[in-house]
Amino acid sequence: MILGRVVGEVWATKKHAALDGRKLLVIEPYLWYAPSHEVAHLVAVDAVGAGVGEDVVVCMGDPARRSLGTTSMPIEAAVCAIVDKIELAADRGARPLTFVGGTAPAHEAV
Amino acid sequence: MRLGRVVGSVWGAKHADGLDGAKLLVVEDGRGGRVTAIDRLGAGEGDRVLVAHGTRVRDLTVGETVALKDVIIAIVDGVDAP
Repeated sequence: MILGRVVGEVWATKKHAALDGRKLLVIEPYLWYAPSHEVAHLVAVDAVGAGVGEDVVVCMGDPARRSLGTTSMPIEAAVCAIVDKIELAADRGARPLTFVGGTAPAHEAV
Repeated sequence: MRLGRVVGSVWGAKHADGLDGAKLLVVEDGRGGRVTAIDRLGAGEGDRVLVAHGTRVRDLTVGETVALKDVIIAIVDGVDAP
């Protein structure tokens, strides 16, 4: 699973039939854990009613499909939790603190 | 899944059997990264698309005989990013 922030929503009329009625969210992964996620953004199917601006947990691969109650959706990422609070260990300074979208929001400081 | 834009297409007279009649498009992710994905939705050059990756994705969309793991699963109308 990876941690990120919802930064947008995707609209698509022409799509694989299994995606009908599903919300597609653009996620910006946080990079302050190692190894950092390889991409600057990813798109995940919403399973919990997340909205733009919220921090979320995204699960990848087969568990992503299962979290949507199916194994027959051609997707590989699903939002499976909305984050209320994040606490980072005191040694976090040893890891890259770069955010994709700028500096860390205040509530993430411990 | 990743967002990208179709920047070209690929032809190959000699190809793996599973790729007969397949439409292969080059998709750029906006940061210089490129991937070749198979298209069954009718995407064209300049279209913004959503690309999914993986064996299971491939099996569910284009069949397990296709020797490619990136598939275009949506043609994007727009992205709301306030």
